[in-house]
Amino acid sequence: MAGVTEPAAGADVSSRPRSGRLPTARVSLPSLLETATGGVREIAVSGRTLREALADLLAQEPRLRPHLFDETGGLREHVLCFHNGTNTRWLKDWEGALADGDAILFMQAVSGG
Amino acid sequence: MTGSGAAGARLLIGTAKGGFWATSRDRRSWRVRGPFFKGWKVTTALRLQDGRVMAAVASDVYGPALQVTSDLETWEQLPAAPAYAEGGSRRLREIWKLAENAGVLYAGVQDAGLFASDDGGGAWRAVEGLNEHPTRGGWMPGAGGLCCHALLFGRRPGRMWCGISAVGVFRTDDGGETWTPKNEGVPIAIADKEHKGIGACVHGLAQDPGDPDRLFRQDHMGMFRSGNGGDRWERNEDGLPSGFGFPIVVDRRTKALFAIPQESDQRRLPPEGALRVFRSTDGGDSWHSASAGLPSRDFYGTVLRGAMAVDDMEPGGVYFGTSAGTLHASADGGGSWTNLDVALPRVLHVSAWPE
Repeated sequence: MAGVTEPAAGADVSSRPRSGRLPTARVSLPSLLETATGGVREIAVSGRTLREALADLLAQEPRLRPHLFDETGGLREHVLCFHNGTNTRWLKDWEGALADGDAILFMQAVSGG
Repeated sequence: MTGSGAAGARLLIGTAKGGFWATSRDRRSWRVRGPFFKGWKVTTALRLQDGRVMAAVASDVYGPALQVTSDLETWEQLPAAPAYAEGGSRRLREIWKLAENAGVLYAGVQDAGLFASDDGGGAWRAVEGLNEHPTRGGWMPGAGGLCCHALLFGRRPGRMWCGISAVGVFRTDDGGETWTPKNEGVPIAIADKEHKGIGACVHGLAQDPGDPDRLFRQDHMGMFRSGNGGDRWERNEDGLPSGFGFPIVVDRRTKALFAIPQESDQRRLPPEGALRVFRSTDGGDSWHSASAGLPSRDFYGTVLRGAMAVDDMEPGGVYFGTSAGTLHASADGGGSWTNLDVALPRVLHVSAWPE
């Protein structure tokens, strides 16, 4: 969907409020990406919005960036991201509010035969 | 016996669904282990001068990355990898060639381009002289994609060649600042209306170990060689059942050339259903089958451009894998072959070194 672009990790992390506890969500990664995270598939991230949460994810695991996002600045063509079960491609932007316990799921969009 | 004192060898086999090791103490009996990077394509690999092994992996979903190991067991993804500028039209889909020369690590990639690292892969810079070449608008992908898959280095400082599928061979004499197409004498596979000298579909490049300006080229349009650094190419197919094929490798000690012809670019199958390696021991003047022990009938796998390697031992080991997942090894320079008892995914790459 137009308007959904890659969160700028560095900028977003630095712009986060420095005080107060931020909501924490859990990111689930597909098994193929274990090669980028040293085997980790569940990562706790924090932020006020989905954008900030993903910025936190990329700050913690910078090796994920080229696997999730491409040169367009957006998600790779066949990568899906779900926020509490909602496909982020259906969202207008990444600015939806994050709440404690939210689930962010990455998976691949292609099917087999 | 090799000068290193090693009697055995190690292979890294890159496939469409992971990497595998094959190891042997005598180069006759082999042990195959893997897969590592299960589910990822392993497109190329290189044993670095510092002893580490670097492998390029790629996924149609998750893109490419470079992985490195020091102990041949545990791998770590490099924090940085070659990348095109964000916002541009090019995508870095796969890394098809890694090469090291004069302290610089190079990566040939798809979409076609070349990247260099001065610190062993810590940071990468685009080789703009090639990536932004004036002919770029005429670069068209072939069946294997638009990729830079071959790199060779000259004796004189700054000289280097690269091969790009469906575009051709380029040479630089100034360390990569400027590049010139070097395809004269090779029929053009896909002519461009505006840009001349490109559209030649190089599949494999090899180099005379004693004379780096003497080049050998397995092209879409046939087998060629050049005695002058690629300024002019001549056809050398005497003895080959077909000029079409993908890999070409050279034994560093004996200078023997090895190729695996396929039945035409239309069919791309082993001629007569026989898996045959052809060897030239006279610099390409003539080619002869060196296939004892290989399947002689009902074999229809192909051998892709990066799926053949030599170990430069004495006597020379030669290895290749096929699109049918078979793996074949010769410990005597192609005199006889062992068919390993494996059925791997489609083999994309083979590296070999003494151990």
